[in-house]
Amino acid sequence: MNVFKKEMKANLKSLIIWCCAQVFIIFAGMMKYQGFADSEVDINALFDAFPKEIMVVFGIGSVDISRVAGYYSVFFLYFMLLAAVHAVMFGAVVVSKEERDHCADFVYTKPIRRFQVISPKLLAGVVNILLFNMVTFAASVFFIAQHNKGDGLIDKVSLTMLALFILQLFFLALGAMFGAILKNTKRATAVASGLVMGFFILSVVVDLYDKLAFLAILTPFKYFEGSTMMINDQLSFNSAAILLSVTLVFFGLTFVAFNRRDLST
Amino acid sequence: MNVIEINQLTKYYGKHRGIENVSFSVDRGEIFGFIGPNGAGKSTTIRALLSLIHPTSGSATIFGKDCIKYGSEIRRDIGYLPSEVFYYEHMKVREVLNYSASFYDNVDYRRIESLSEVMDLDLNKRIDDLSYGNKKKVGIVQGLLHEPRLIILDEPTGGLDPLMQQKFFDLIRAENQNGATVLFSSHILSEVQKLCGRVAIIKDGTIVRVENIRDMQKHNYKKFTLDYKGIIDVHHFNLEGITNLTVNENTLHFLFKGDINRIVERLQGQNLFNLLVEEPTLEEIFMHYYQKEDQP
Repeated sequence: MNVFKKEMKANLKSLIIWCCAQVFIIFAGMMKYQGFADSEVDINALFDAFPKEIMVVFGIGSVDISRVAGYYSVFFLYFMLLAAVHAVMFGAVVVSKEERDHCADFVYTKPIRRFQVISPKLLAGVVNILLFNMVTFAASVFFIAQHNKGDGLIDKVSLTMLALFILQLFFLALGAMFGAILKNTKRATAVASGLVMGFFILSVVVDLYDKLAFLAILTPFKYFEGSTMMINDQLSFNSAAILLSVTLVFFGLTFVAFNRRDLST
Repeated sequence: MNVIEINQLTKYYGKHRGIENVSFSVDRGEIFGFIGPNGAGKSTTIRALLSLIHPTSGSATIFGKDCIKYGSEIRRDIGYLPSEVFYYEHMKVREVLNYSASFYDNVDYRRIESLSEVMDLDLNKRIDDLSYGNKKKVGIVQGLLHEPRLIILDEPTGGLDPLMQQKFFDLIRAENQNGATVLFSSHILSEVQKLCGRVAIIKDGTIVRVENIRDMQKHNYKKFTLDYKGIIDVHHFNLEGITNLTVNENTLHFLFKGDINRIVERLQGQNLFNLLVEEPTLEEIFMHYYQKEDQP
């Protein structure tokens, strides 16, 4: 409990900053929607004029973005990116920070086992990403309602947030695993954030080249589509099951690797 | 009963040697010195005892229990002061100490106050505002606050001024008198000399010898200083048992171990200005252990 409390306290400031950034993105994004809606221009026709490649990179595929649900679904790509970076960094740092700060000798010479340090740290991670998720949820519903005659689309947004949370868990576990396996925090955060970028680029490549569609299974960013959740009210069960299983494996590896680790001063 | 028992403990970092076949034991209630130059393997041994690192082979027990297997249980009764003290920088001293205490059952929180008072440590300062010596003090209080039965000190006095060192030694002696066993690692011999009964000497990852400090000083070596009136004939002292022989203008220094009469014989007919026979300091004995084998 003391480790959990300490981690919550240590990460409070950064969590607030992340949440503010997220709220601002949603706020600014939905403001733009208002701009579109007011201008009475046929947005879909306008965007059709753009090359497909550009639209794909910005996450605007084939959805009808003149409707608020469709417009909002485009955000999912940005949520995923932001949440993935937040979660993966949290995981990589939280596991290895004592060694980075040279105070591993402090915690790990206390009368507790290593998993008793790692578990509350990861729990703090889960709580942090959950709070981030809930702030995203609240901000989304609030700003959608502003532009949708008071209807915040709670059901659709909830489904989207559930998918987001599964992705966050996955990235937290991925980061933690690198934190436990790699030599130091610097290397862990570098590899983890590099991997997030790699996943993202792969997801764009898959969208651009239909022939490479089979590679979609390799990037978690292609497991959930914003439009299926926001428009068709569907969450892929298979995607959720695969991601959660891999997450469990990563968490397991984190514990095993950390237990075997020679802690540096 | 042995509080610490180390048996053929070996640690390799990849191909790099940490320690090799280290064996020694520490009796209950003693203050045991562990000396060697930097990089000899003192910290590696201690970190293996605390299961911060996993030994390549060999084993160690504390309170009769395996260090790795029962690590968390054993550590309840260990107070440890690391050689390099670093703490959560943004925390206050009091917060760090309370956090430390929160890992133990039945801690008397008044001890934080009393220990800090003895060590003259300000509890309300932030860790990152502290000097190295003051951080060391935090380490000392942190290591002793739960009244451990075994105290492991890794180079504890760095950064402490002489007055604080004295207070610290008094504190350790008091803990020892109350029944705590102490493992004291250092590369400064005079402090080991002040505090310890027995000492293990480590060099290049292996234990050179375990000795009683008193035996080491009194029964083994004599330090000779000879002031000559004339020219020094160094070959005259080409004798078994003589080490660390140095010539400095008209003065000859050496350590001798063995039958003192051999030296007296050699002194016959020498044209001396002065002669001094002393107990060598531990440093001087120590240098002898440290001399590389490849030296003539």
